[in-house]
Amino acid sequence: MATTLLLLTIAIPWVGGLIVWLVGNKHTGLQHRIAVAFALLAGGAGVALIPYSSSQIVVNLPLGSVFGNFTFVADGLGVFLTVVATVIGSLAVIFSVDYMQGEDQLGRYYAMVLFFIGAMSGLVLTSNMLLVFFFWEITALCSYALISFHNDDPKAVAGGIKALIITQIGGVGLLAGALLLYAVTGSMDFNAFIANPALMPAKWLGIMAFGFLIAAAAKSAQFPFQTWLPDAMEAPTPISALIHAATMVNAGVYLMARFYPAFKDVPGWTTAVLLVGMITALMAAVMALVSNDLKRVLAYSTVSQLGYMFYAIGAGGIYASQFHLFSHSIFKALLFLGAGAVIHSVGTRDMRQMGGLGKQMPLVRAVFIIGGLALAGIPILNGFWSKEMVLEAGLANAPVWTYIVMLIGAGITALYTFRCVWMVFYGEPHSDQHVHDAGPAMKVALIPLAFATLTSWLLAGSFGKLLGPETLPAHGIEISSLGEVIHEVLSLPTLIALIVIALGLAAWWWRGRLTGLSNALKGVGQAAADSFGFEAINRGIVKGTQSAAEALRATQTGLLNWNIFGIIAGLIIVLAVVIFGG
Amino acid sequence: MWHILIMTGILLCAIMAIRTKRLLVSAIWLAGCSALVALFLYLLGAPEIAVIELSVGAGLVTVLFVFAINIAGDEAQPSHPVISRPLAWAVIAVAALLVGWLLLPGVNVAVPGLPESQLGNTLWQARSLDMFLIGVLIFAGALAMLGLLADGKKEAVEP
Amino acid sequence: MNISIPVIAGLVILGLLGIGLYALLAVRNLIKIIIALQIMVKGVLVAFILAGRLQGDMVTAQSMALVVIVADTIVAVVGLALAVQIRRHTGKLDTTALTTLRR
Repeated sequence: MATTLLLLTIAIPWVGGLIVWLVGNKHTGLQHRIAVAFALLAGGAGVALIPYSSSQIVVNLPLGSVFGNFTFVADGLGVFLTVVATVIGSLAVIFSVDYMQGEDQLGRYYAMVLFFIGAMSGLVLTSNMLLVFFFWEITALCSYALISFHNDDPKAVAGGIKALIITQIGGVGLLAGALLLYAVTGSMDFNAFIANPALMPAKWLGIMAFGFLIAAAAKSAQFPFQTWLPDAMEAPTPISALIHAATMVNAGVYLMARFYPAFKDVPGWTTAVLLVGMITALMAAVMALVSNDLKRVLAYSTVSQLGYMFYAIGAGGIYASQFHLFSHSIFKALLFLGAGAVIHSVGTRDMRQMGGLGKQMPLVRAVFIIGGLALAGIPILNGFWSKEMVLEAGLANAPVWTYIVMLIGAGITALYTFRCVWMVFYGEPHSDQHVHDAGPAMKVALIPLAFATLTSWLLAGSFGKLLGPETLPAHGIEISSLGEVIHEVLSLPTLIALIVIALGLAAWWWRGRLTGLSNALKGVGQAAADSFGFEAINRGIVKGTQSAAEALRATQTGLLNWNIFGIIAGLIIVLAVVIFGG
Repeated sequence: MWHILIMTGILLCAIMAIRTKRLLVSAIWLAGCSALVALFLYLLGAPEIAVIELSVGAGLVTVLFVFAINIAGDEAQPSHPVISRPLAWAVIAVAALLVGWLLLPGVNVAVPGLPESQLGNTLWQARSLDMFLIGVLIFAGALAMLGLLADGKKEAVEP
Repeated sequence: MNISIPVIAGLVILGLLGIGLYALLAVRNLIKIIIALQIMVKGVLVAFILAGRLQGDMVTAQSMALVVIVADTIVAVVGLALAVQIRRHTGKLDTTALTTLRR
């Protein structure tokens, strides 16, 4: 029963994607309904998997002697991320019913979304390194296809290509690590390796650890690869919500959290993760402060919050990082879907042309503010508890100056969140066109998310049990009740953090009086608008990959004679290896 | 030595089949090559296969070629190759040398005596799967043949 | 002259395969390419029979060779049908006319 459920969690979205695609684009109503039905089924299967997480159900698909078994394990971490992917994913699908109304090629859209959700479930549920790599690449492919969904828009295509290439570069690191694991231990299964990292000699372990760090940083848009995520904003907004909250970027955090017990003794690794997270969190927060594109602000805030998760992992706070991921998934999905409702009705993403929308869309304003408060870390919303946990972890196990930097980041977060809310919903209206309120399916998706943003922190105790020692013995997560979390959070450092956040708010209220300061910081703002020059690095990577591909095109002549020449050259190499290779 | 003579003949026919400009002549050289290979197979001790090769390879396939060349036309060919000839020769020579190097220890032995064999029995009993496969293949061939013929008719109507 | 029969057979195999491969490299006419494939397959036939003779298992070798002959005939039929089709569509029997890749 449980094993079937596990496989169903992956299979349902994939089958649904196939069916939606086969239905054809002439039956759009049917397509909407099928997509929603399968997404909800998948969400149900994911939630139904929770009770089985402590019993360690294992599904083995024997696949011959070369790759070992394809193993799927429903442990706490995997089940948690599956639930996030399927539930948030199904809400994004429901939201799409209104958002994608009247669009062409819905079959491609829904098929890719469902394929994406299934692949993410597979990625977090398998314990076979090769399968992890496969699912990893499938998610990259789906994100590319969905970011470039409007494939007649050159900006969307460029954004998709950029996301694909950057995450592929990271995928090389993952592949290197996976192959090393196989070469040294002779098995693709990583659970034994995590339980006993001594299986790998130190030098190989180091290469693997940093390869995985590169892979995770590229996937989760961390420094220095952070620029693909804002460019991915050309996607339809439910896709942005899916990528930011449910599927894509969580994969990198998952990878780091999963392998933390194995890599924590590699010299320099935790420091590297810590610094990557810290630099990203601060830099992305500053970039969010100067951006005028609503979706870009949210994208930078995702990058920044993912930086917090990396920071927590670097400081050894696996529970804090995963709890923040949990909260972040909920409030970021809420923010994105709310932003989608705004963009859908206003028709622009430029916040300078919005303003005063609160009166016309009261519900959207309410939920967006809830999400924004959670992002800023205001008590008692879920973002407050998890962000404080992250900061506590940093204070306990990381150098104090990194904690101070993260505190400043939290202040900036509050500042840009309020700037964003103000520019969209308050102030003077800048366009006098009529704005219609969000559609019913949009509201259906928004309300549960707003409710969860208010209450999901109450689950902190059961969340700790979900990730507890009986399912993740190597991670050593000991939190088992809400009381412990509250006790840990309600302390002096939290007060300091709240003061910093309040200062961030105050900076927005008194922005008029701080003109001198903001003028002084204008240079920083300029640099931030250019992504501090890292945009150039990322663009260089993309350009280099594309020109290399262009150069390699000379080898694809399409001429039969040259193809046969290649075959014979291959034959000669094989023969030479056979004869002279010993 | 008959064998050396036949070998020379086979290779000569093959080279001529490649070198000739006219396709029809090329097909005739191929038939000659096929017949000589059949003879060689007979001398190697495989009379059944030799007969089949003679009838199918030298007979049926040649007919097919002549038929197709009739439909497709036998005009003079552009002879300028895509890959320069010396390069092609060099690659082939290297590959042949390497294969020969691997092959030599295996073939440089005296011929063992011809074992007793009952081809028919083995064919129908031990290798019945092969026979099934052959049936499927012949079916596919018949289909392809139909395609060839249908196109011929269409062309006959169109002009 | 004292070359054993297997060596001669080996030379036949190498020669037929080599000539066929050379033709695949150098020839642009589709029907000629099918002829080259036929020549290579004849080399393979000889190789099967030679292997059977050296291993003392002539029966298996012959039944394999039978499958090869049939398959090869079908390849010739399909190939020729394709060649005729291509002649009809492009007006040529030239392989370089087939590519649609930008060069």
